[in-house]
Amino acid sequence: MSFFSLLVLLVFNFSFELGGAALHEIGPGVLWSAFVFACLLGLNRSFADERENHSLDALLMAPGDRGAIYLGKMAANLIFLLAVELICLPFFALFFNLSPGFFILPLLGVLVLGSACLSAAGTLFAALSSTMRLRELLLPLLLLPIILPALISCVKATGLVLDNQFGPALYPHLKMLAVYAIVFVTLSLMLFEYAIEE
Amino acid sequence: MPDDGLVIENTSKLFASFAALQSVHLCIERGQFVLLAGANGAGKSTLLRLMAGISRPSSGRVLIDGKDPQRDATARSAIGFLSHHTLLYDDLSAEENLGFFARIYALKNPQQKIDEALKQVGLSSHRHRRLRTFSRGMRQRLALARATLHQPVILLLDEPFTGLDQPARTALSEQLCELKQAGHTCIMVTHNLEEGAPLANRLVVLRKGCLCHDQAWEGSAADLSATCAPFWDGLR
Repeated sequence: MSFFSLLVLLVFNFSFELGGAALHEIGPGVLWSAFVFACLLGLNRSFADERENHSLDALLMAPGDRGAIYLGKMAANLIFLLAVELICLPFFALFFNLSPGFFILPLLGVLVLGSACLSAAGTLFAALSSTMRLRELLLPLLLLPIILPALISCVKATGLVLDNQFGPALYPHLKMLAVYAIVFVTLSLMLFEYAIEE
Repeated sequence: MPDDGLVIENTSKLFASFAALQSVHLCIERGQFVLLAGANGAGKSTLLRLMAGISRPSSGRVLIDGKDPQRDATARSAIGFLSHHTLLYDDLSAEENLGFFARIYALKNPQQKIDEALKQVGLSSHRHRRLRTFSRGMRQRLALARATLHQPVILLLDEPFTGLDQPARTALSEQLCELKQAGHTCIMVTHNLEEGAPLANRLVVLRKGCLCHDQAWEGSAADLSATCAPFWDGLR
């Protein structure tokens, strides 16, 4: 996932000659494109171990809330995505000639909220597509339209943070991301057991 | 209708427009050993999946001691399921696999129970080997250890003798016989009538998704074969 994200950043670097003014124009979009592609790779693998020997059936039979399977998978996807983002950030800074500054803390906040949104919706759709034959193709087709509102807020919020605008302009985007994550976690907990049924 | 045991109440299961099960009604009391027979595609595995609470009926309901396994976690803990697939993780060792399921079922003295289960299926010396390196028969034995690890009162067995060598088949037959004598409920799907016939005390036959024959059973494999023959009319 990390290697793939770095490759995406590298491709953008050579395609657009990043750095300087490009940071504010396309930087946030490039960064989140790399994260979304990496996330899709990870999500496609998130039910692979269960698919191999149908061990998801054993998890479904376990005497616990089935929502716990969703929460576990979502937490794992979130941790992996955050790890990828932390690995990619220094390379992003390098390609865009970005010097470390106060913006790093708010940027981390945006990354955590954005990743929570991607993982919350992504895990549900990964579960939904895990039983289908064309899952690798279907997952992006199903997920990308759904995460678009969150993705727009992520890009806008990242742009504002990189512009050192931490004030009122940033809050609506952060609120939007928080609400999106909460809504999708709640919705997924209700729908998960139906999503994984054959 | 009994409150304890397993009740399948006018249950149907549809896959799109295909009816895998049609209005199946069955009550299985505690301690019964049911042999579930039928041709390929008759709906046996689908019925077991409904009983296990893995699959949701399209209509009707499945109750274990009066509780719906889809909604009630305690009902699910009463079930052990040995499926066509091992339901195990290839990248974990035999011991790690059982350890994972011991944690899920919150077993007391998990290590002791894992040791006992591995010993019972003859895999103690392979406990640290990854499942990926196991043969088909060894996988099946470990799957049986997983299914019985939490000492379920209802055991669902889908072709349990598949892939086992003769000593392992004998050992499994003995183990199932012990479970039967201990009062466990067993529902077994098998085409291996020689092993199934002596264990069973009830015979249920499915045909094209419908329950077509249900009788108390005591007899040999040859009798069983003759009894089932009229319902063996191939695939749907």
